[in-house]
Amino acid sequence: MTEESNRQGSAGRILSKRPALPSGRQEWVEFLFRFQSLFGLIVVFLAAIAFSPRRDGEILFLSLVNLTNILRSVSEIGIIAIGMTFVILVGGIDLSVGSILGLAATGSAVLMVEDNFGVLPAVLLVLLIGMAFGAVQGFVSTRFAVQAFIVTLAGLQIGRGLARIWSGGQGVAISYGEGKGQAPESFSILSERVFNGLVPVPALIFFIVGAIAVFVLNKTTFSRHVYAIGGNERAARISGVPVMRVKITVFAISGMLAALAGIIHAGQLSQGSPNDGIAYELDAIAAVVVGGTSLMGGVGSVVGTIGGAIMLGVLNNILALNSIDINTQYLIKGLVIVAAAALLSLRSGDR
Amino acid sequence: MLRRVLFVLTIAGLALVLAACGGGGGGGDQGSSGGGDCEGPDGDYLIGMSQANVAEPYREVMNDDIQRAVDKVPQFEVQFADAAQDNAKQVSDVENFLTQQVDLLIISPNEAAPLTDVVARVHEQGIPVVVLDRKVNGDAYTTFIGADNFAIGEKAGQYISEELLPDGGNVVELKGLPGSTPAQERADGFRAGIEGNSGVEIVDSGVGDWLREKGQQQFEAILQSNENIDVVYSHNDPMAEGAYLAAKSVGRQGDMEFTGIDALPIPSGGIRAVEEGRLSATFVYPTGGREAVEAAKKILLQCGDVPKTQTLSTTQVTEENAEEVYAELRR
Repeated sequence: MTEESNRQGSAGRILSKRPALPSGRQEWVEFLFRFQSLFGLIVVFLAAIAFSPRRDGEILFLSLVNLTNILRSVSEIGIIAIGMTFVILVGGIDLSVGSILGLAATGSAVLMVEDNFGVLPAVLLVLLIGMAFGAVQGFVSTRFAVQAFIVTLAGLQIGRGLARIWSGGQGVAISYGEGKGQAPESFSILSERVFNGLVPVPALIFFIVGAIAVFVLNKTTFSRHVYAIGGNERAARISGVPVMRVKITVFAISGMLAALAGIIHAGQLSQGSPNDGIAYELDAIAAVVVGGTSLMGGVGSVVGTIGGAIMLGVLNNILALNSIDINTQYLIKGLVIVAAAALLSLRSGDR
Repeated sequence: MLRRVLFVLTIAGLALVLAACGGGGGGGDQGSSGGGDCEGPDGDYLIGMSQANVAEPYREVMNDDIQRAVDKVPQFEVQFADAAQDNAKQVSDVENFLTQQVDLLIISPNEAAPLTDVVARVHEQGIPVVVLDRKVNGDAYTTFIGADNFAIGEKAGQYISEELLPDGGNVVELKGLPGSTPAQERADGFRAGIEGNSGVEIVDSGVGDWLREKGQQQFEAILQSNENIDVVYSHNDPMAEGAYLAAKSVGRQGDMEFTGIDALPIPSGGIRAVEEGRLSATFVYPTGGREAVEAAKKILLQCGDVPKTQTLSTTQVTEENAEEVYAELRR
C-alpha cells in the first residue's frame, strides 16, 4: 500500500514536468489523475446531458446558446484562475485578485467615461496597474519573508480601498458614444459575441490567455523555475534559481490577469463598480484546486485549471437548469470541491 | 485505509450530485414555450425569480411572499436564483432562465446598469418581465412594482411631527448606506414630512449603513454629545433597534422614542419590536412579492395588461395595529 503510493507520487512528479502518453496500467492511472479535472469535466458534462431538462425533445443543456453562456460566465474566473495557478505552483496564494478585478473595472470605467481616455491607453494603464500591484505584493512577500497569504490579504483590503477612492465609492455606468461622459464605442466589443453571434468575446480572450499560459508553463526556463521553487524552494535557491525574480513575476502575472478580467467585467456589465469581484478569489482558488493543482506548490497545470473552471461552470449551470433549491446548490458545489481535493490527496498520498 | 475512506467519500459526493440533479429534473419539463400567444388558465407556467441577494432579510421575505402566492395558483411553479450581490452572477441567472424557457421572469435587480441589457433580451423574446423594488434603465420590461421611499419618509416625518412631537422637539436621524437611493429618498421625504411643524428640529445624524451594530455604535456617540433627544428617526428597523440598545445601556431609553422603517413580518423584524415596545412605530416597506404574482396572473392566466408602474403604499405600524399587520403580511 505505502510502496504503491510512493511509486505513484514520484511518477506524478516526473510526469508533471514531462508530459507523455502513458504506456503501462500504472501510468494510465497516473494520467487519469493528472488530468482529473478534464475527466471530471467529462463526467459532469455527461451527467448534465443525462439530467438536462428537455423541451419538445430538445436537450436544453446542449443548446449552443446555453453552452456559450457557460463559457462566457466562467471566462472571468477562468482568467483569474490561470494567474492564480502560477502563484499556487510556487507555493503561494493570491487573495487580492477579486479586489484587483474591482479596482480594474472601476479604473477602466472612470478613465474612459470621466477622464476621456481612449480604449487602448485605458486598457494598457489598467493592466499596468494590476501588474504593478501584483509585483509589489510579490516583492514584499519575498523580500520581507511574509507569507503570501498575509501580504495578499492586505492587498485585498488595499485594492478595495483604492477602487472606492478612485470612483468616490460609486459605481460608474458606462454608456457609449462620442464626447465627455461616454466611453468609446469600440469598448463595447467586450460585451459582444463573434462568429455568427455565438462565441462571447470574453471566452475568446480566456482561451487565448489559456493557450499562452500553457505554452509558458511547458516550454520555458521560467516554467522549470516555477515548478522547482514549488517543489523545494531551498533546493531551487541553492541550484541557482532566481527565486525572488520568479516569485515577483508570478504575482505580477496574477495581478495583470486579474486586471484583464476586471476590464472584461466592466465591458460585460456596462459598469465599473468598487464592489465588483467580491469573493472572486475564492472561486478562482476553487477552480485551481478542482483542476488538480496542489496548494503545497510544485504540482499542477494550467490545462487542469481551465478544465476545473469550466467544470464548475457546467455544474452551476446544470444545477440551475434543474431547479435545484439554491441552498442545496451551495451544498453540492462545496461537496464537489471537497471531492476534487480528496482525489488530489489520493494522488499525492505520500506528501 | 485513509485512501479508501477518501475514495468512498468522493464517490458518495458524486452520487449525491447525480441524485440531486435527477431529483429536480422534472422542474423544467412543463410549461408553454415563452412565445407571445397566451394560453390562459389552461396552461402550466414556470416563473423564474432572480433575486439580488437572499442574505438580506427583506429579500428573503420577498421570496417567501412570492412562494406563498404561487402556492395558491395551481398553474404556477416558481424557481428561485440568488445572485448573492454579484451583478455578473445575476446576468447568468437570467440567462439560465432563458435557457429553461421560463414563461415569465420576476427580477429584483442588484444594480440597474449591469442588468438592463439582459432584462431587455428577455423582454424582446416576448417573455413578460416583472421588475421588483429596484429599477433597470430604459423601458424594456413589462411592469415595475416598487414602493415609494420618499412617501414613506414623508409619512414617518408627519407621524413624528404630528403624533410624537406636536409641540416640537429634537430629532436624531440614523441614515442608511450613503449613496444608496433609498437612504437619500427616506431622508428627503422625512424633511418634507416635518415641514409643517417648525418646532421639530433635526439636531444630529449618524450613518448606520442599514446595520444594527453600526446604528448602535453611531448612536452611542450621538448620546454622548446630545443631552436632549426626543425622537430617533432611523432609515430602517435594525438601526433603530441598535439605537435602542445604545440608549438602554446608559439608561436613557425611556427619555426618547424610536421609529424605524421596513416592518418585516419575521420574529426579528420591526413589527415585533413595536409589539414589544422598543419602537413606537415602523412603516411597512412592501416587498411587492404578492403583487408580482398578481401581475403574473393577470398577464398569463387572464391574458390581460398590467400598468407599466405600480407604486405600493406603506402602512403605519403602531402598538394598536401591530399584531393585525403581522398576520396580514404573513397571510
